[in-house]
Amino acid sequence: MKINFSLNGKETELDVDPMAVALDVVRGLSLTGTKEGCGVGVCGACTIMVNGSPVSSCICLVGTLADKDVWTIEGIAEKMPELIDSFVEEEGMQCGICTPGQIVAAAAIESVGASNAEEIKKYMAGNLCRCTGYQTILSAVEDHLAVN
Amino acid sequence: MSERRIDAVAKATGAAKYTADVVLEGMTFAAVKRSDYPSALIEDIDISVAKEIEGVLGVFTSKDLPGGANLYGRRVFDVPILAEERVRRVGDPIAAVVATSREIAEAAAELIDVTYKELPVVATARDAIKPGAPLIHEKPWEYKGAVVTPEMGINIQSIDTHGSREAAEAALRGAAHIIDETYITPGDHQGYIEPQACIADYHPDGSLNVWNTNKSPYRLRDVLSAVFSLDPKKVEIMPTVLGGDFGGKGSPGDAPLCTALSILVGKPVKMVLRYSEDLLSTDGRHASEIRVRLGVDKDGKLVGGIFEALLDGGSYAGFKPVNTVNLHGIVDAAIAYRVPEFFVESKIVYTNNQPKGHMRAPGSPQAAFAFESALDELGRRSGIGAIKIRELNLLSNGDANPYGTVWLENRGKEVLSLALSQPRTQEAPKGWLYGEGIAIYARSMAAVPKTSLRLRKGENGKVIAEVPIPENGAGGQTVVREMIRSGLGIDSDKIEVKQVSTSLLPTDAGVGGSRVSLGVTVAVANAIKLWKEMPADQELVEVTTSEGSDGPSGAYSAQLARVAVDPATGQLKVLEIVSAVDVAEIVNPKAHQMQIDGGTVMGYGFAVMEDLLEDGGQPWALSMGEFKLPNVADIPKLTTALLRGGKGVGPNNIKAVGELANCPTGAAIANAVEDATGARIRKLPVKAEAIYWAMKEGVSK
Repeated sequence: MKINFSLNGKETELDVDPMAVALDVVRGLSLTGTKEGCGVGVCGACTIMVNGSPVSSCICLVGTLADKDVWTIEGIAEKMPELIDSFVEEEGMQCGICTPGQIVAAAAIESVGASNAEEIKKYMAGNLCRCTGYQTILSAVEDHLAVN
Repeated sequence: MSERRIDAVAKATGAAKYTADVVLEGMTFAAVKRSDYPSALIEDIDISVAKEIEGVLGVFTSKDLPGGANLYGRRVFDVPILAEERVRRVGDPIAAVVATSREIAEAAAELIDVTYKELPVVATARDAIKPGAPLIHEKPWEYKGAVVTPEMGINIQSIDTHGSREAAEAALRGAAHIIDETYITPGDHQGYIEPQACIADYHPDGSLNVWNTNKSPYRLRDVLSAVFSLDPKKVEIMPTVLGGDFGGKGSPGDAPLCTALSILVGKPVKMVLRYSEDLLSTDGRHASEIRVRLGVDKDGKLVGGIFEALLDGGSYAGFKPVNTVNLHGIVDAAIAYRVPEFFVESKIVYTNNQPKGHMRAPGSPQAAFAFESALDELGRRSGIGAIKIRELNLLSNGDANPYGTVWLENRGKEVLSLALSQPRTQEAPKGWLYGEGIAIYARSMAAVPKTSLRLRKGENGKVIAEVPIPENGAGGQTVVREMIRSGLGIDSDKIEVKQVSTSLLPTDAGVGGSRVSLGVTVAVANAIKLWKEMPADQELVEVTTSEGSDGPSGAYSAQLARVAVDPATGQLKVLEIVSAVDVAEIVNPKAHQMQIDGGTVMGYGFAVMEDLLEDGGQPWALSMGEFKLPNVADIPKLTTALLRGGKGVGPNNIKAVGELANCPTGAAIANAVEDATGARIRKLPVKAEAIYWAMKEGVSK
């Protein structure tokens, strides 16, 4: 079936199997910054932003994206360079496989209005990181929120 | 002042290319039919339906493997690429499909119909060594690389020992106080977020290019050359970025299978594991059952100890890379202490569970949980005290450890007192019990930094450093840049560090054992020296290093856990973990701190959450829904205190840090639980139910 949606700010029409998951569809468009991790909506490596909210693209049927405003890390990086800078300056990463998901989740944090450290932690709990122990990721998100 | 990571921008923008992101022209996709049973004979494999699916290029079983090559391993070649007459674990690969898409390959694999005849299951290490237990492998001593003999007993992967059992027993007979307890830890998985992935591209001229989630490219090249009788010079392991490792990416992964399939179909073959398959098919941490006997004299000095570890190696031994096919961390259990007569036996056995290999400080998290819990219990039961018994027995400068080595310095007592001096900042919830527990860990840094490296002139005054190692996240490539920056006095933006494929440099031992910073610093220092002496018309310098570190050296860490327990339910809340860490110079402070924080969180996960739930031969944790890793809201406050001024090794005077923080956490928390409740937990992960019943009954569950 054909679906229309906005992808990284561009109107997009795709002919897709509506049962395909959004993760495979965006990666098939060479947007490989969105990563496959657990595949069951737990780890957050595949996080994309849909109408301003974080979504695990590995369990999101692509048909549900019709008429939505969808952003992947590639679009977020262009739209919110200051957020990328926060993660780079604070070194909110080591292996980097969870980093795009962390950053997309952070980009969508305004949807919940988290403002203090405890709220940020609760909000970011859906994005696992096995390397860093989370401290530099938290610093990056706090830095981003302080700047904005 | 550290500059930002060399790979930060690429990783933050999603531009960094991991193995799963690599696309080759004409690439095909593989999927595997895995065993549903932990132990069974394969009576029939019906591929007739699967091979007729549109888009399927071929369906292959062990009979089809090129050249009859089937067994592989890192040291012992006992792992079949595809199962032959029997399966030995749930998840054993039985047949592989190659298709035009991943989805078609997976759908076709589901349609392969295997007829099994179930065999008795060996579900635990204890069951494996019972007389008359079913044999997981008929003649394991016949495998290439095996270290076992028939005389060692049944289902043995390896036995490593140190010291004299008789002398230790005699010493314990003369002790004033003794502890004799057994400690249990579960099977665990490295928990990297990037599932294992591979692309193999074989060409008719006998050359092979491989992209693999693997951190030891030169060892992988040698394994593939050996299995398929290929010329190592024609096997090219390509550069890649690793999405986490923690020991798990040292295994060949699916490179042998993908290589076989690429030879069979004549096209590049890609396979990316689903995470549920990764939990079934890789090489996590051994479950352990460790009996510890320790004795002290009337003054509280240790007189002897016996440390007997029984480890569940799972269905194959082939994922352990060291010569002993054992785990150094077990044998090194008493390395921080003066124990005049110490006997240790580390016995690893075959079972029908998932094969186990190396995970962050192999053997040490299990050994530290057992040793540091037992020492704590001995201190408390004897009246000496949990802190005092450590102060009395930690090595001083000049003391030999139980293995006869005198390190350059011993700073165990200093890290202990540094941890204890950190002020308490977290309050227990009202009505909860509060407790503190301490545990120590020490680690030898005797790793030989075998590696090679090339510096090359680039355009516009750039210096290009070509390295053999993939970046697994720990920051090895950033260390290279930092050294060149300071050594040559040029700006970071004039330095490019890149991994090159295996034929372009002579050798490397692989990332691991916290040896990277040391090996790299030696190699870069040598290269910088040559570079400065280089004639103007010369374009490059190349170095190969293989010398050991200067002087036997080690590093210590002490962790203090501050916990609260709800007396009504046993619920445990770890409020804070203080890590006091023995350091010399620090090359990159942020990366160093992340190794401590990330290690502590991994130790915390091992202590209270992680468990593969292997029961009856069936792994029950088959997704990250069941296999829980700590998230940012789960973790306690992390506090680090660095004990600076240590005597390190190598040209930069450093101490390795990557494995210091994840080992003592389990014991620190269990010790704190006893401090809070009086209840002793001797089994990880520590569960609220266990604390509840232990508080009620005064015993461990």
